[in-house]
Amino acid sequence: MNHDMSKLPDIFARYPQKPQSLIAVLQDIQKEFNFLPCEALKETAKHLDVPLSKVFSVSTFYNAFSLNPKGEKVIRICMGTTCHIRGAGLIQDQLESKLGIKAGQTTSDMKFTIEVVNCVGACSMAPVVIVNDKYYADVKVNQTKKILKGG
Amino acid sequence: MVHLTIDGTRVQAKEGEMLLKVIKQLGIDVPSLCDHDAVEPFGACRLCLVEITKQSWDGWKKYVTSCLYPVEDGLIVNTQAEKVVEARKTLIDLQLARCPGSPEIQQLAADYGITQTSYEPKIDSDNCILCGLCTRICEHMGFAAISTVDRGPDRRIASPLDEPPPDCIGCLACAINCPTNVIPYTEKGNKRTIWDKEFELITCSKCGRKTITRDFARALSKMRDIPEAYFEVCDACHRAETATNMGRIAGWSRREEAAS
Amino acid sequence: MAITKVASPKDLDKLQKQCQTEQDKHKRKLMVCCGPGCLANGAAEIVTEFKSQLKKKRIKGFSVEAMKETGCHGFCEQGPLVVVEPQGTFYTRVKKKDVERIVEETLRNNKVVDDLLYTAPDEKTYRDYREIPFYKHQKRIALRNLGHINQCDIRDYIAVGGYQALAKALNKMSPSKVIEEVKTSGLRGRGGGGFPAGRKWESCARLEERPHYVICNGDEGDPGAFMDRAIMEGDPHSVLEGMAICAYAVDSSEGYIYVREEYPLAVQFLQEAIREAEEYGLLGDNILGTDFSFHIKISRGGGAFVCGESSALMKSVAGEVGEPRAKYIRSVQKGLYDRPTVLNNVESYANVPVIIDRGGKWFAKIGTETSAGTKAFSLVGKVVNGGLIEVPMGTTLREIVFDIGGGIRNDRPFKAVQTGGPSGGCLPDDKLDLSVDFDTLTKAGSMMGSGGMIVMDEGTCVVDVAKYFLKFLVDESCGKCTPCREGLYQLYLLAVKISEGMATENDLDKMEQLSGVIIDASLCGLGKSGPNPFLSTIRYFRDEYLTHIRDKRCPAGVCKALITYEVDAQACDGCMACIHACAANAISGKKGEVHTIDQTKCDKCGACFAVCNRHAIKVA
Repeated sequence: MNHDMSKLPDIFARYPQKPQSLIAVLQDIQKEFNFLPCEALKETAKHLDVPLSKVFSVSTFYNAFSLNPKGEKVIRICMGTTCHIRGAGLIQDQLESKLGIKAGQTTSDMKFTIEVVNCVGACSMAPVVIVNDKYYADVKVNQTKKILKGG
Repeated sequence: MVHLTIDGTRVQAKEGEMLLKVIKQLGIDVPSLCDHDAVEPFGACRLCLVEITKQSWDGWKKYVTSCLYPVEDGLIVNTQAEKVVEARKTLIDLQLARCPGSPEIQQLAADYGITQTSYEPKIDSDNCILCGLCTRICEHMGFAAISTVDRGPDRRIASPLDEPPPDCIGCLACAINCPTNVIPYTEKGNKRTIWDKEFELITCSKCGRKTITRDFARALSKMRDIPEAYFEVCDACHRAETATNMGRIAGWSRREEAAS
Repeated sequence: MAITKVASPKDLDKLQKQCQTEQDKHKRKLMVCCGPGCLANGAAEIVTEFKSQLKKKRIKGFSVEAMKETGCHGFCEQGPLVVVEPQGTFYTRVKKKDVERIVEETLRNNKVVDDLLYTAPDEKTYRDYREIPFYKHQKRIALRNLGHINQCDIRDYIAVGGYQALAKALNKMSPSKVIEEVKTSGLRGRGGGGFPAGRKWESCARLEERPHYVICNGDEGDPGAFMDRAIMEGDPHSVLEGMAICAYAVDSSEGYIYVREEYPLAVQFLQEAIREAEEYGLLGDNILGTDFSFHIKISRGGGAFVCGESSALMKSVAGEVGEPRAKYIRSVQKGLYDRPTVLNNVESYANVPVIIDRGGKWFAKIGTETSAGTKAFSLVGKVVNGGLIEVPMGTTLREIVFDIGGGIRNDRPFKAVQTGGPSGGCLPDDKLDLSVDFDTLTKAGSMMGSGGMIVMDEGTCVVDVAKYFLKFLVDESCGKCTPCREGLYQLYLLAVKISEGMATENDLDKMEQLSGVIIDASLCGLGKSGPNPFLSTIRYFRDEYLTHIRDKRCPAGVCKALITYEVDAQACDGCMACIHACAANAISGKKGEVHTIDQTKCDKCGACFAVCNRHAIKVA
């Protein structure tokens, strides 16, 4: 897959050209491409003068980064403690079985990605599911169809 | 200098020195897998755990990894306390669950009376104990060609993007220093392969033996400001040449002495 | 409007008067809560609607500027919230369609919209939020401005006395006097450890090596906690002011706020707040005309719980993998880039301006002898009134759960309250009268932590909770040391075994023994406290574990492998809702007839249970 690397200089220009900018640069690349393309990692290593091994290490360590492209719709299931005890696990099971993928995976048509996130800090509305930027509060196990349809 | 007691023996140690070093100097058998003289202590395997206390602590005891604990005056160390040995045994048991196929870990476990792990063994294990010696030594040498990847139980050692590592110079420092020998490499003719990357081995122009890789020679030449041609001859032939030269110089000086 | 820099304390006084006059122009103010909960429930839509309605309707004596987007007001369970000040008229669960009525009735005609008021479970309706038990029992210091000022406007903050404490410190106090005051206050770190803040500052100030760094931990990794998010979003300037006071005390000119990536709004608001404060000369070079300079940068975390550990956090700020290092190196001495560093969390810094303003002695009088001041909690779970609260230290769990929280939802019996996040523990009902302070909670096998308080009822299974936290910690372990990486993983596998009814009592012994080793041998705090979720539940709920093991039964009806869903023939009216909801096609029956579940097909997803209005699906 080819990705437009011409956006990289813009991202690089936002931060000092020092190794400590690595995480910030990767976050912006992740935002731009929705994942971290290999070419971008190599360019970043060169630009910041950080060994490629370190770039790979950092990009696999933090939750915020993904080395695989994500789907059009990213379904984030909050798995904070409150969401968990109010049944977020059952909702995860439903979404996974409906889409035929596990959390962390993307459907083969690149439409959906399921992610489990630790806590989005909206515990009073638990369980919470977020699709791209849309929040679904107090989700019931039988509402997953609606969530997938975007209703 | 600080004074401390280890397993009943009073010893002296240099300030700032790590406890494990002093313990090893005494010839006491405390296992450790991630410690290495060439690199900074890391504290990953936790096997060098010991019990410490001080007279002034009023019977209170503490458990610390000796590789990362600087010596202190008045420290009373017990390297074989019951709790310590039990913890070591559990840690080895856990390592055995991670690396059920590693002969080195099997042996260590047997030393502690464990023949089979009491935990859930890892399936398709790569038998790497994640001591990090390979990555730390590689970084220490100035290459950082490989690194740890992912985290938690999924943590592993890998080359960048799981491709042949661009910064690797094929020096084998990672493979040679691996305590469980799980970094494979092959040598065939003048080719060496490690981390899926192929290297050319230099053939000594004098004796025809295989020496270091061309990439290693280039890197050394840059780092130490030595002409690359120097590496076309192997160490042994260089030494032989030096010896011959030394002999010649000695001969000259004797002649000069005689002449004066 | 061109901004002149505040060049002296006098300038600041003048500016404060100016800002107060601006505020006093508005006889009434309309506060729309834009806290995390309300936003998730559509607060942004309500703000837009208010703006357009106010423009359209042109209410006499009420300008659009009198509407403020505030930080978290606290009562998240009832959100979105709209408050009319100074009356305190409190509208709950406001929807877009309610906006017009509020504008017409309350703002134009000075009448209360009764059906939007809060009605307590005892049917009592409240007009003024200050009367509601949820608010009445609280004392707010760290959260003092939340819900009362516009979250993104420095002038609002200055109007209520913002940056006056910094001015006082810079002009009337020496750095050592500032440290003395913080020591007198008895403020202990609010991030979990509870280390005395003043002592930390003092050790940093004493070190000759330069530069010194000041870091604010806004990582808030505990699932179920959102106090710090609420403060960063709702009152960012209080954090900046607290950091600046600290920087002055320890002679630092560079600070960082480490914010987790999951909080994009906090990043945005803090960035705006830093920019504003610099424009006004309250941050940056020559603050308030003095020779003290302090710059703050935001460092976005990459999402790793272990970065709550100080050495890991500092590595992350430096752009590296967040791996903790040996304990014997103290981060006060060798912190960021191996330089002396003070690290406190968001709530700790938010307390500092008040301490400087009102004095350490005043603060020390609040709370208990060893835990001074107040503590913010996110009170959530199966409690009636969930939300963001702040209470004096020493308040009992019972007061928090029952007086403020209003007890358990649906009148079910209380089972446990979980505090301290993944490193904390679950406390049962006979611990409800414990005082909430650092030492008491630790002694009871839990901990204060950053302030998540999750209430559990009978429908919560403690084995499941322990399993959940262990899974969390396994995923979040950096993997550097063996006991944490392998030990917690094996502990998790054993918990799974119990939840599946496959374990023996020997496994419990094995778990307890392994827990001890993990505590003694782990490298950092994550591992050392990792077994707590198991240890605290086995300590207080051993019987429930044994029921799973001996009887292969989950009393709470949670562990999938040990439960079955059944139709209560008495209650079922044959509406077919469950049949449509069942993805496994396990339910059969005709309309009007009692339905039956085929246990061989049932995958226990719980969909039938969720849709049945007649509560005819039973979990056994």
